[in-house]
Amino acid sequence: MSLLEKNNSTPSSEFEENLELLRQIYFFSGLPLETLKVFAYLCSREKFKQDEYIFSQDEDDGQAFYIISGQARLERRDNGETIGVREYKTGEFIGGLTLLGETKRLFSLKSATETTCLVLNREKFSKTMEQFPGLLAKIFNAVAKSIDTWEERFLSNRGDQCGECLNQLGVTLI
Amino acid sequence: MAKSEPPIVKRSLFSWIFAGNLKYQILLLIVIIVMVGARVLPLEMQKRVINEAVKLRNLDLLLMYCGIYLAAVVFFSLLKYVTNVIQTLISQRTTARMRKALYHHILTLPLNFFRKTQPGTVVNALTNELTLPGNFVGMAVASPVTNLLTLLAFAVYLFWLNPLLAAVSLSIYPIVVFLIPLLQRGVNKANKKRVDAARKFSARIAESISGVHEIHGNGAYDIENRKYDSLVDRLLKIRIVWSLYRFAVKTANGFFTSLGPFLVFVLGGYLTIKGQLELGALVAFLSAQERLFEPWRELIEFYQVYQDGKINYTRTMEYFDVEPEHALKPKDREPMQLAGDVEVRDLSFVTNTGIRLLDGINISLTEGEHLALVGFSGSGKSTLAMCIGQLYKYTGGSVLIGNQEVSDLTKKDMVNNIGFVAQSPFIFDGTIEENILYSSLAKLDGNGRGGEEQRPSLDDVIAVLHQTGIFVDVLRFGLNAILTHEKNEALVNTIVKVRKNFQRDYGEDLADYVEFFNENKYLYYSSVAENLTFGAPNKSDFSDENLSRNNYFLRFLKTADLTRPLLSLGVTLCRQTVDILGNLPPDALFFEQSPINADELDDFKVLVEHLKRKKLHELEDGDHRKLLELALRFTPGVHKMAALPEILETLILEGRALFRENISKDDPEAFTFIQMSEYIYSQTILNNIFFGKTKTGNPQAQERINQSIIQLLIEEDLLETIIEIGMHYQVGTKGDKLSGGQQQKLAIARVFLKEPKILIMDEATSALDNRSQARIQNLLETRWKKKSTVVSVVHRLDTIKNFDKVAVMKAGKILEMGTYDELMARKGMLYELVGKK
Repeated sequence: MSLLEKNNSTPSSEFEENLELLRQIYFFSGLPLETLKVFAYLCSREKFKQDEYIFSQDEDDGQAFYIISGQARLERRDNGETIGVREYKTGEFIGGLTLLGETKRLFSLKSATETTCLVLNREKFSKTMEQFPGLLAKIFNAVAKSIDTWEERFLSNRGDQCGECLNQLGVTLI
Repeated sequence: MAKSEPPIVKRSLFSWIFAGNLKYQILLLIVIIVMVGARVLPLEMQKRVINEAVKLRNLDLLLMYCGIYLAAVVFFSLLKYVTNVIQTLISQRTTARMRKALYHHILTLPLNFFRKTQPGTVVNALTNELTLPGNFVGMAVASPVTNLLTLLAFAVYLFWLNPLLAAVSLSIYPIVVFLIPLLQRGVNKANKKRVDAARKFSARIAESISGVHEIHGNGAYDIENRKYDSLVDRLLKIRIVWSLYRFAVKTANGFFTSLGPFLVFVLGGYLTIKGQLELGALVAFLSAQERLFEPWRELIEFYQVYQDGKINYTRTMEYFDVEPEHALKPKDREPMQLAGDVEVRDLSFVTNTGIRLLDGINISLTEGEHLALVGFSGSGKSTLAMCIGQLYKYTGGSVLIGNQEVSDLTKKDMVNNIGFVAQSPFIFDGTIEENILYSSLAKLDGNGRGGEEQRPSLDDVIAVLHQTGIFVDVLRFGLNAILTHEKNEALVNTIVKVRKNFQRDYGEDLADYVEFFNENKYLYYSSVAENLTFGAPNKSDFSDENLSRNNYFLRFLKTADLTRPLLSLGVTLCRQTVDILGNLPPDALFFEQSPINADELDDFKVLVEHLKRKKLHELEDGDHRKLLELALRFTPGVHKMAALPEILETLILEGRALFRENISKDDPEAFTFIQMSEYIYSQTILNNIFFGKTKTGNPQAQERINQSIIQLLIEEDLLETIIEIGMHYQVGTKGDKLSGGQQQKLAIARVFLKEPKILIMDEATSALDNRSQARIQNLLETRWKKKSTVVSVVHRLDTIKNFDKVAVMKAGKILEMGTYDELMARKGMLYELVGKK
């Protein structure tokens, strides 16, 4: 495709850069270039200042994020107490499931440094997928595989330390 | 509405002939009688010309008879024209009245009627099927009277000329009168089928167009084509049969009537040769005989219009002959003021097909109590809400509001006391203001046609905008409005003043979100054209759409060395955009970030094809212009498919200075340059306050901007003015320029504004985000508790804790009812539902 041939004399557009980034994300891995181009065109870049919330617990913001630069902290608030869950670094993709259907966030994500994200929202995602019937199966495939990998890794790394929570496992069996 | 008239669907086609048209019809009758006289006169003149003037070789007589002949002909034509005018008036007025009455009737039909009826059917009935009946009414007096009188006059004249000849030549008509109705029966049968087929046909089109996304989604073009094509084929066959019969009527009629002259030739010729008939009389006879044909043909045509019109009319009326379930207004009393108590006793609702949607429902609410209806979808919650709101007519048991049986109340009684927010509310084309006032005006007498004094005040409206949380949206519409030169002078001056305060107080805070106008910097959120001219055009030659054909501007681009690089930027934009968006539908979502509008896409696709075959300099002028226009629209911050080359950026900045220098000399009036002290008419109010443009659509940033702006507008006492401007925002057909949430907020706002005694909400907040939902819930609890009775179908269980009662429904029955705490403690159905969520 002519799009991907870099010509050094002209600077590359944000669209071309977005396309390169999307090609690396597991969630979109089964999609043909034609569809990816539409996503690369539709997604936007958002800058978050340090300590700004990227999304908040209990909200349904309907967005997926790819961290282009910076870092973000995942938090969970329970009974008024907030605990840090984990860190997300440059190059990580967050919130693919949100694109597939209405869900309330179980966590909040807060930028730890100044952070730039590539953002795609549910409306853009679903309207685009409507134009490419059949491709949703590829997405589901990628998601199912990813959940599977997650639980498998959890079981092999932490399964023995889990104790009582063991009978809550089995997210791959939903 | 009709006073004591029967509903339109019960009226016969004949009832329209004189009702409302009496004066016209009488006038028509008088004109016609005179006209018939004017028609027979030439015949007599004809006879006299030959028998007297020619025979006696008297020139004076000839001139006199010819003069009378001419005068009669002119007079006749004039009268004919007058009758046509009156007829047209009658038929058009009648069609219009039928259309209005039928539409008024259709709107009152019960909801379940529309479940079976496609919009296309209604459209077809109102637009096509009533034309012919209207035509019939126009002709109903004129045609038979004119033609029968003419026929009679001619017949008498013929008998007067020669009784034998007259009797023979008229002997044909009884045959025709016998034959035509036989053929017409075939026409009628085919026409009935045609009306039904046309109705199905319209419904089919309406269905496939409204479901076109599903067709695209499934690629089911062939399936839909087959369905459609078979209907077209059926309609084709019916129409052919119909036309064949119609022509058969015409032909048979034509054939028999042209036998008339034949008989006259044979018999009349014989009599003249034998000297028993004068030549003049024969000529007059032949001429009169020939003229019989026209009124006769018109009579037959009228007969056909009558038959077809009758069928169209009765078929259409039969289709819509459904009783409204409730009277619109009480006849012999004022609309009731109901108390807010709701009493539901042993309520059941069974569909036509025998499915029991509600069964033995009992609820008792005192005025001001709030009830939440919960349960799985299909449990009957919405049906119950609609039965209480009189939108469905329940089939058993009773619903009492303020001790009055709901099924006996008129619509007006309900509307005056009850507010209903539907699951998927409908927003009508018009302004925000019109939609907000919709329910309140409907409550007033004559739906608000009366006067200004009863309307809700602006303060009330603003209060409701706040309560439902649509205030910020309306504010934004107002801020995004573009003001015109003529009006708003005072406002414009204030905004320029506010601009300075804004920069002082909020400028630093919002610097990340706003790109301020700066004469020395390239603006990435403004178009290339705006970057070059850096001003608002005062002449239409310099407006954005005309810039690429403005010779002055084109010459300027050349001298500034910009033509070539801009064209090549245009090529990149064109290629990339067509590559990305080429196969996508014209949805606003896809084209928001595109320099090519949805309706231009096809043109640019062709241009891409040209670019494949030709070099840039070989393209035609039209293509060059399009590419240039595209480049001039390019806004790097929005159109991400191309990058702005550094060299071009520098050239444009230099060009900006050069352009200003040139145009100030050549045409100083053409632009108002962007400067702090001037209002920029080409920009929105918001951009004018900012003196710049917003960089981001990110909701959090929007929120920050909104807050600062609201603060500022309050300080400057401008908030109300901007809201008023925002209230004039056009929401688009079905409100499609509003988001789902905005539509729902608007629907809630319009019902809140009329402050109903009883409020029924059917999943009214399902499209709202958490905060808006909480806001509405909070409002119900603080402002409406103890005042208005609320029945709310709830889809999210986290909002029901503070309702006075919660009813859990399953399969059309209430399984349990009580306060939230009681039901949770009981660990029954609600407990289970909450747990599952």
